[in-house]
Amino acid sequence: MFGFLKQYYPVFIEGTAQTILISIIGILIGILLGLVFVLMRQSKLKVLEYLARIYIAIVRGTPAMIQVMLIYYTLSKVISVPQIQFLGSGLDRVIPGSIALGINSGAYTAEIFRSGIISISRGQTEAGLSLGLSEKTTMFSIVLPQAVRNILPALGNEFISLVKESSVLFYIGVQEVTAQALGVGGTLYNFVPPLIVAAIIYFVLTFILSQLMQLAEKKMGKKYLQNN
Amino acid sequence: MTDSANIIEVNNLKKAYGNNVVLKDVSFTVKKSEKVVLIGPSGGGKSTLLRCLNRLEGDYSGEVRFENEDLMNAGKEKLYQLRQKMGMVFQQFNLFPHKTVLENITFAPIKLKLASSEAAKQQAEQLLEQVGLAEKAAAYPQSLSGGQQQRVAIARALAMNPEVMLFDEPTSALDPEMVGDVLTVMEQLAANGMTMIIVTHEMAFAQNVADKVLFMDQGQIADSGSAEHIFKSTTNPRTKEFLSKVM
Repeated sequence: MFGFLKQYYPVFIEGTAQTILISIIGILIGILLGLVFVLMRQSKLKVLEYLARIYIAIVRGTPAMIQVMLIYYTLSKVISVPQIQFLGSGLDRVIPGSIALGINSGAYTAEIFRSGIISISRGQTEAGLSLGLSEKTTMFSIVLPQAVRNILPALGNEFISLVKESSVLFYIGVQEVTAQALGVGGTLYNFVPPLIVAAIIYFVLTFILSQLMQLAEKKMGKKYLQNN
Repeated sequence: MTDSANIIEVNNLKKAYGNNVVLKDVSFTVKKSEKVVLIGPSGGGKSTLLRCLNRLEGDYSGEVRFENEDLMNAGKEKLYQLRQKMGMVFQQFNLFPHKTVLENITFAPIKLKLASSEAAKQQAEQLLEQVGLAEKAAAYPQSLSGGQQQRVAIARALAMNPEVMLFDEPTSALDPEMVGDVLTVMEQLAANGMTMIIVTHEMAFAQNVADKVLFMDQGQIADSGSAEHIFKSTTNPRTKEFLSKVM
């Protein structure tokens, strides 16, 4: 059943590398945007707060596939990325694609960050301020480090769904794992075996990711949750 | 109106949450190295008043002056500087759980570039010695008892070399057997001449330490005077009623 792999395994490796690449970029942009938007959301300036609310509402309320396509078709008109091939796809597709993933993930990450910040008692902020620290220092050195520990499980979930969701970039022609599997399926006139291979690859990737997240949880928790 | 001997002046302070008026027209002064104790029934505005002093509560009307600087109209940077000189100790300790005891104490002085990390560490060790917790420097707050945490919190506030220490019911969240250790540390501070403003329900301590007692009820200073006056000879019926219930 999987005899085709002998011939087509480089295609899957390329696709996997592409999936990993777009996922990493997506996650990084997502974290960055999440941080920016949660700070806006918590801001005393109403304009910033509403901008953040609108961004979160739109991203959460529309399909990722449409977002990706809209961003791709818009970006490709505004800026011209040279059509350099990289891992089987043009950078003019990979770059807008991973940006779109990041923009999508950023909305969810912002809400996760917010849940973490809410989970830290107001007393922590007050303690920081009473020592003469600025709001910014208090947020970044006192509140966020504790919040991040509390939200690691939820963040892990978000990263895992981003890896799987990255398959939507197939619609704009990024040759990630799903696209490659469909391509192979097309030449074989049989889609099931290559799709199973793709599914296994996603499973392995997300499994490794979840293990990494657990490791991070343990490492951050050990410091102060256990007695001594 | 401003007297340079006063380190803190509160003039006609009013504060409301919506329609709920918590402070109605409060005025008092604190002199350098004076110990002012705020007593009174819960909900009387004691903690809110204390928290207005370093502007953890903003949006009040009236005036709070610290070292002759108007807190409400101070810019951000100025406010941060003023807060550095006003240590605060909270009912719930509010130690930073992700930092060791030593880091809790050294964090602000180092971050604010008031001391090198070496000097901050030395000072922290001295302060821990002072509050009787020298051996806990490397521990995380979660592993300490409430009384120990509160003493670390006092050390953390002292590490900023404050001019004034504000105590917001520092022993109210403690098991009874822990209260003594914390009060002892506070008594030492008082004896060393620290200016202190203390909200407390520990009447024996108040009587012992206070230069001035303010009895707060329904958002006002209903009665004030020396500890001797408030606890022995006041004629204010509300003060007497309150004291008869708690002593």
